[in-house]
Amino acid sequence: MPRMAARSGRRVLSWVLALVLLGVLGVVVFRDRIGVTAPPTVVTGVIGSEKVAFFADPRVREVFRANGLDVRVDPAGSRQIATTVQLANYDFAFPSSSPAADKLLAAHPAARTYAPFSSPMAVATFTPIVDLLTRAGVVATGTPTFDVQAYLALASKGTRWDQLAGNTAFPARKNVLLSTTAPCDSNSGAMYLAITSYVANKDAVVGDAAAAGAVLSQVRPLFRDQGYLPATTDVLFEDYLSSGMGRVPMALVYEQQYLAEQLSADPALAPDARMLYPRPTLYSRHTLVPLTPAGDRVGELLTGDADLTGLEAQLGFRPTDPRAFTDAVRAKGVPAPPALVDVIEPPSFAVLEALLAGLGCPR
Amino acid sequence: MRWLVLAVVGALVAGCTAATPADPQTLRVLAGSELADLGPVLDEAAAATGVRVRLDPVGTLDGAEQVASGAAQKDHDAIWFSSNRYLSLLPDAAPRLGAGVDIASSPVVLGLRRSVAQRLGWVGRPVSWSEIASAAGDGRFTYGMTDPSASNTGFSTVVAVATALVGSGSALTVGQAASTAPGMRAFFSAQTLSAGSSGFLQDAWTRRATGADPGPPVDGLVNYESVLLGMNASGTLPEPLELIYPSDGVVTADYPFTVLAGVPDPLRDAARRLTDHLRTPDVQRRIMELTHRRPAVPGVPKAPELGGATLVELPFPAQADVVDTLLTSWFDRIRRPSRTIYVLDTSGSMQEEDRIGRLRGALAGLAGADPSLTGRFRRFRAREQVTLLPFSDGPRAPQTFTVAENDPGPVRQQIADAGTVLAPGGQTAIYDSVRRAYELAGQQIAADPDRFTSIVLMTDGANTVGSDAAAFRAFADARPAAVRGVPVFCVLFGDGVNAEIDDIARETGGRTFDARTTSLAEVFKDIRGYV
Repeated sequence: MPRMAARSGRRVLSWVLALVLLGVLGVVVFRDRIGVTAPPTVVTGVIGSEKVAFFADPRVREVFRANGLDVRVDPAGSRQIATTVQLANYDFAFPSSSPAADKLLAAHPAARTYAPFSSPMAVATFTPIVDLLTRAGVVATGTPTFDVQAYLALASKGTRWDQLAGNTAFPARKNVLLSTTAPCDSNSGAMYLAITSYVANKDAVVGDAAAAGAVLSQVRPLFRDQGYLPATTDVLFEDYLSSGMGRVPMALVYEQQYLAEQLSADPALAPDARMLYPRPTLYSRHTLVPLTPAGDRVGELLTGDADLTGLEAQLGFRPTDPRAFTDAVRAKGVPAPPALVDVIEPPSFAVLEALLAGLGCPR
Repeated sequence: MRWLVLAVVGALVAGCTAATPADPQTLRVLAGSELADLGPVLDEAAAATGVRVRLDPVGTLDGAEQVASGAAQKDHDAIWFSSNRYLSLLPDAAPRLGAGVDIASSPVVLGLRRSVAQRLGWVGRPVSWSEIASAAGDGRFTYGMTDPSASNTGFSTVVAVATALVGSGSALTVGQAASTAPGMRAFFSAQTLSAGSSGFLQDAWTRRATGADPGPPVDGLVNYESVLLGMNASGTLPEPLELIYPSDGVVTADYPFTVLAGVPDPLRDAARRLTDHLRTPDVQRRIMELTHRRPAVPGVPKAPELGGATLVELPFPAQADVVDTLLTSWFDRIRRPSRTIYVLDTSGSMQEEDRIGRLRGALAGLAGADPSLTGRFRRFRAREQVTLLPFSDGPRAPQTFTVAENDPGPVRQQIADAGTVLAPGGQTAIYDSVRRAYELAGQQIAADPDRFTSIVLMTDGANTVGSDAAAFRAFADARPAAVRGVPVFCVLFGDGVNAEIDDIARETGGRTFDARTTSLAEVFKDIRGYV
């Protein structure tokens, strides 16, 4: 009996093997008939975390695949990308700001870089908070403008929500503070530092280490008083969406994150969610630095492929060509974002590093 | 035609391959003990993704210590605690962590027996921490809480209460963390039950509420919203708990699943598949229904049982020295001081395997010789009363020490010195000695009632002389009211096999620790979370 069982087992096995062989042949034949080409080239990149959803989007992956590329990405903080990440394993680096890209470029010279899209910094908040900020003079009545100077004046006094006159909507015994990410780890936190240091420096970009030292005492409490800070803008925005006003009354995020939610088929925004724009604000210019020819190809497609620029806009980014953005917003019936006039540039990488070191960030 | 047949067969084979999950992979995860309740969800995740999870439960500070020392990386791939906030403050731990992926959340809140909440007028209206503290200070209710150096719920409570009562509206400063403001003392004066883990606290509280435990019932407990809702849903409570969400704010656990640095790509990939699965809306709902935790993913509607009102999150201090100061101040100046009677076996068998030497070492560790993170917080604290009661043929002469509030060093040294002269010899009179410890506890409570009182029994064998288990049980059942709430925490040591010893722990509301598989010094530290 055992021997018979073994023999019949072998016979089954050989049948299975034959079927598998047939199957493989079938797949090959089938592929040839319908004209599927060789597997796509794998291209790897290290990118700011807020772009992970973009690269994971099936429509985006499909466009890359149609162009023979399988793009795989690892998220990392923009500052880490510019300093500590081992870039030898990657075809491209895609930090979220131009200072980080400039720093990268110094160590990894590339013939050209790509800035396929950008996104201005924005304040995600709620209607009751907008009303309170309007009464406190931080938001101009009926506008989406968040006056950073007026805000700094309020915050520097340690004003609490429950101390704002006539506040019954959100009488929290908690300081009026914009929630941000950790500036040491996250680009949006560093961009907040760029904006607030500009205002603290009497409306001038901080130009050197001495000027950086002079503004630190004003900007440090904006981070320290918040206590523990999330490491990525994704987490901060998710807290805003899922925990609401009690945890995150107002958060500094990318316009893209808020717009992506508004433009999605199933927005998770609260009914009283609102977006404001800091004045001054700055654009986070997502800059791709190619490290190999395959990385170059990704940059070219992101910048020039009409399908991709359309998807960039649908996912809330502002592509270089403004028409794609206007179309995407209009198609969903989302109110057109305002024209931003008071736009500043971030300090150089070295000055930003000096500011971050002053906040206690490890080098 | 022929290619079509081949293609169909091929597609079938390919289909089979695609439908079979990738090779099962197992992630070894150092995790908060309360996450054991996700067992069914993790089984379903394994079926759906092929990724298995082995959870190794550990307390907050122990876990932090293992990550910081690098020990966690040796045999684990990821950590999964209630929060990474404390870990990220430790310079040695932060670089060992990858980015955490939040899976669910639960705020730490106060649960009170409904009749007590009604008596206090706290049902259906906002209640602030200062109101809670003032009622606590007036003795209008009692509660249980975990040890903040052992468990996140206790730790979160200390942070929340200090931030709300002493803080100015922003994250605590070092100066504020050292505060001994009257409100702080008032709130913590009402704590009558302590525990080294959320799970034990829940069990001990329930046993007292149902009368299964001889100690007096406790009015409330501080724990995760999820645990309190689970207790209400269990149907075992004589009276449901009313959840009090302090209007000035809470500290919330957010359960980030965090891969450790240096983990190989395939496991990192497995972790990503697992967290992607856990964050799908259906699984988020399932977690909410099964464990009463709040969904982490936006857009998943919250169940009505989860407090719908705006829940203010208090800022959590982001500096290690602030947290250290806060804990040190709480242990040394704020909490109700503890009183522990150590009943220590010095029978002849303690000579074997240098057990007596290990006992001396364990006492020296608690006296300050252990410089580790847990050692720093579990040593004998300022104001604490320690009695050493060695025994062999019978209880020997007790020695009582009270650690000075402002200069704890010298008394700690005296305790360590008293340990070094313990000498083995004679038989093992367990029951007579525990009984003696209860007599001492009675006297000490009469002289100084406002302390947590517990007994620790360490033995390496079975009772060989003096009264037996039945006689002890008769004594225990009839012991005076003042000492009915005094638990005995038992430590099994050496090769002693003693089934009866666990009865002592169970009947007095304590628990048994095994120092045969873990070092005695570690067990002595663990027990510190309960006393």
